[in-house]
Amino acid sequence: MCKKCMELISLPLANKLTSASKDSLSTHTSPSQSPNSVHGSRRASISSVSSVSSVLDEKDDDRIRCCTHCKDTLLKREQQIDEKEHTPDIVKLYEKLRLCMEKVDQKAPEYIRMAASLNAGETTYSLEHANDLRVEVQKVYELIDALSKKILTLDLKQDPPPHPNTLRLQRMIRYSATLFVQEKLLGLMSLPTKEQFEELKKKRKQEVERKKILERRAALESQRRLEERRSDLVSHATNGEVVSLRGGPAPLRKAEGWLPLSGGQGQVEDSDPLLQQIHNITSFIRQAKAAGRMDEVRTLQENLRQLQDEYDQQQTEKAIELSRRQAEEEDLQREQLQVLREREREREREQFQAASLHTRTRSLDFREIRPFQLEPGREPRNHLAHALDLGCSPAQSSVAPKTPSPSSALEPIRLWSGPPALGQEFFPQSTTSQHNEVPSLNPFDEEDLSSPAAEGTASPPAAEPPLSPPACVLKEYNPFEEEEEEEAVAGNPFTSPDSPAPSPFDEEDGHPPQRPSGPPVPGSPFEEAPCTNPFEVDSESGQEDEEPIEEELLLQQIDNIKAYIFDAKQCGRLDEVEVLTENLRELKHTLAKQKRGTD
Amino acid sequence: MNVVFAVKQYISKMIEDSGPGMKVLLMDKETTGIVSMVYTQSEILQKEVYLFERIDSQNREIMKHLKAICFLRPTKENVDYLIQELRRPKYSIYFIYFSNVISKSDVKSLAEADEQEVVAEVQEFYGDYIAVNPHLFSLNILGCCQGRNWDPVQLSRATQGLTALLLSLKKCPMIRYQLSSETAKRLAECVKQVITKEYELFEFRRTEVPPLLLILDRCDDAITPLLNQWTYQAMVHELLGINNNRIDLSRVPGISKDLREVVLSAENDEFYANNMYLNFAEIGSNIKNLMEDFQKKKPKEQQKLESIADMKAFVENYPQFKKMSGTVSKHVTVVGELSRLVSERNLLEVSEVEQELACQNDHSSALQNVKRLLQNPKVTEFDAARLVMLYALHYERHSSNSLPGLMMDLRNKGVSEKYRKLVPTVVEYGGKRIRGSDLFSPKDAVAITKQFLKGLKGVENVYTQHQPFLHETLDHLIKAKLKENLYPYLGPSTLRDSFLEEVLASGLHSRSKDSSQVTSRLASRR
Repeated sequence: MCKKCMELISLPLANKLTSASKDSLSTHTSPSQSPNSVHGSRRASISSVSSVSSVLDEKDDDRIRCCTHCKDTLLKREQQIDEKEHTPDIVKLYEKLRLCMEKVDQKAPEYIRMAASLNAGETTYSLEHANDLRVEVQKVYELIDALSKKILTLDLKQDPPPHPNTLRLQRMIRYSATLFVQEKLLGLMSLPTKEQFEELKKKRKQEVERKKILERRAALESQRRLEERRSDLVSHATNGEVVSLRGGPAPLRKAEGWLPLSGGQGQVEDSDPLLQQIHNITSFIRQAKAAGRMDEVRTLQENLRQLQDEYDQQQTEKAIELSRRQAEEEDLQREQLQVLREREREREREQFQAASLHTRTRSLDFREIRPFQLEPGREPRNHLAHALDLGCSPAQSSVAPKTPSPSSALEPIRLWSGPPALGQEFFPQSTTSQHNEVPSLNPFDEEDLSSPAAEGTASPPAAEPPLSPPACVLKEYNPFEEEEEEEAVAGNPFTSPDSPAPSPFDEEDGHPPQRPSGPPVPGSPFEEAPCTNPFEVDSESGQEDEEPIEEELLLQQIDNIKAYIFDAKQCGRLDEVEVLTENLRELKHTLAKQKRGTD
Repeated sequence: MNVVFAVKQYISKMIEDSGPGMKVLLMDKETTGIVSMVYTQSEILQKEVYLFERIDSQNREIMKHLKAICFLRPTKENVDYLIQELRRPKYSIYFIYFSNVISKSDVKSLAEADEQEVVAEVQEFYGDYIAVNPHLFSLNILGCCQGRNWDPVQLSRATQGLTALLLSLKKCPMIRYQLSSETAKRLAECVKQVITKEYELFEFRRTEVPPLLLILDRCDDAITPLLNQWTYQAMVHELLGINNNRIDLSRVPGISKDLREVVLSAENDEFYANNMYLNFAEIGSNIKNLMEDFQKKKPKEQQKLESIADMKAFVENYPQFKKMSGTVSKHVTVVGELSRLVSERNLLEVSEVEQELACQNDHSSALQNVKRLLQNPKVTEFDAARLVMLYALHYERHSSNSLPGLMMDLRNKGVSEKYRKLVPTVVEYGGKRIRGSDLFSPKDAVAITKQFLKGLKGVENVYTQHQPFLHETLDHLIKAKLKENLYPYLGPSTLRDSFLEEVLASGLHSRSKDSSQVTSRLASRR
């Protein structure tokens, strides 16, 4: 090497080259899974570099001689090292983004399992836990959104604007994050609110109990058959009637109407080996959950479901058998009980409506908010009522037919939130129902018992028509807008808890508008228990409690719609944007209205 | 035996192997087409591939935080580009995949260029063809022959494409070719050569019945590509043109901006997958159902989504709705345009005469019909020329051949020289002298009876009487009746009784234009 072609490398640089490559060796392994060959060769180069330096170190010179080619290579290496040590912002953000995505992939399935279970009224998972998880997942989504937005706008305002490719990269990352959120977020079903969950649980429990009771009654029934028929057959026939009316597992719904009466019978459960097993598994699940063994929880959960299915089926069979027997028995009683039963059946049907309507309401969690908007569906019905009974004001007339029926006492709480769709769906039938009830309109003002009797003339298969009156009621009973009716109904239970069918219109003025009004259980004249303690149930499902939750749902919905609008805009589907904006406006309107209502 | 799947597998494997992190996919012009046929952008985005770059693009920025996946054809230019790239790496690490066999010397020069040791992997992934449908591929070669001889460049491309196909499907086949075609023979020999040379690559598990590669020349059946088609995919290709699953609709009157170019891919479009081989009438009713279905789901403006429940339902259906709205508008537009063209170009009538020319032997009636159509102003010069071509091919040697008269008619109609020239060209290309087999007059007794019965019963659908010759060829092949004197084996055929296992083009859908495209890869249409 002559002096001309000789290059010099300072020692610090040599040190940097050797040490940094050692570092990079260790850091390199983790992020990229590059094959060993790379490391192998790199290691070789390190050793060669270090050996060179060690040789030259001895010379006690602070510079190292080398040729131009080597210098080039070494400088390139230095550059490479520098690049490796420098992590651009986008990478940092991106790594965070990926972590979040992984988290979602981990948590979302877990949540979905929970939500599905909870929405079915099962108690395997706790609602709070699921709620926490939901919030957690949603937070992660927000984070993903925020991070990807940040990536999108990274360095955007820099003076020399970033290279178009960089911008493209940022856009693509944002786009893929949006796709990710869209795809996954939509899979997240909502959770029941606390009240709804209570309801769901209760319903489920009642289902179980109902089966229990059916079973018990089967035994009782046979015993009773040996005895002389007594007056208590009345109530008996009541329940039996429903069974024979609906048949199969359906009576479960009706259960709500009267079950609180026999609420204390929960202890019987363990008598059944299946139930025993179900209990065991439930507690296993709890333990497994506590131990954090999600896999086992899942397996157990599966077991539990199978057991429950099995049990359900067993009970259903029993119920069918029972109803058959009862039907036989009732044939015998038919003649002597004719009148009484007519009346009874009427009550039953109304209870059942209430109950079934209730179930539906519950299963469609989003619908609660509905009553605050006044829907067009109500109009025609009013007209109809008007046409049928010109004497009353439209609002009154549609209410009037129902008020006497004890089931309406239950409406304010549960049915005011009834689904509008349901109302519409049944609209054609409401015509018939109105017809049925024409006779009962007048009886109203006079005597209570006559109305059930009149309605009783409706043929049993017409179990459906009466559905619509409650649906109407609920619309009228917007507690925030139409105080009058509310009072009327609210008045009921308190004025005459003991009288079979209170006549509300006589007394309505005398009673203050107590808000947590009707008991959930209709004041069926023959079952007095629910009527006597209306407050007990009230506290559980008071309207006030439901209010804020509705609002939350609304807000959530608004957010969703906003997201869709954004997406639609992005893709340039303007017609959709329009529809969505319309929706948004409506939602906001509803929200505002509701707020006004609460204030 | 699914080419789409095979290529897709390759791409997924590449992406997976590169591990987590942001990635850029570096491709050349051809591999871009290959990848885009099997992957949608959103699919590939989810695998962390955010950028797609051409290796020959000079405007690439240094982005050391990206990993590069290079999927390239092993051409000289690509290797050169890659060498430049590796000398000054723009990305942190390179995973290099060649779509075909690469020479050792090229690998060596790449290794020498990799001074900074950025290459993590070099592999051969044999996705060197455009996978159109599971049983159909194309090499997108336009004009592979000069006269009756191969363009050497295209011959090597065709050889590469075929060998890559065999490798990706893991088949080491027996080869048969059409004796009457010199080009078919040449290609068969080239493929055989590669198999012999790269015998290590072709060592697949031997099946009891060896697979078969049958190489045909389009000149054997020049009729099929001249006919108007009536199945969905074929019609779209015939009337609008499918190019790597893309359809250019920009010439459609009143087309909206986002429908200028649409993608029809059976992989991602269920409606298309279900309807691509159905005939036009069926599609019409299916699209009506699709619309009705859509209307039901579509929220109407005045309906206003009355309740929260409605809204919730809407929101839940929204992605589905969104996807559906895209599908609906796409297919409605495409089918609408097809039917507009059909009536504008009077295609029903044209097709009927085309079918008569292709399938029947009544000269005077055919001549009369052609003459009549040539007078019809709605018939385009293209269709008119095709009718005369069909006539020329069929009645080439008929005693009362009146081709000169028809040529006069064409001239009078104002058909341009460009089209008129095609008539003698096509006869020269696919005329009787060239054809190895007889397209028009069946020879064996079965076929004669068949045609006789057909004449008795009448045809079910006048527009789809014609069956491509390929159908018959494959049928014979499957029944082991394909004559060896017409379709000999290449090399000493030790396995005389070997039975067909596969053919490159699926016989079932051979009515579809694209299938004929495969078989026509040996020869351009005219």
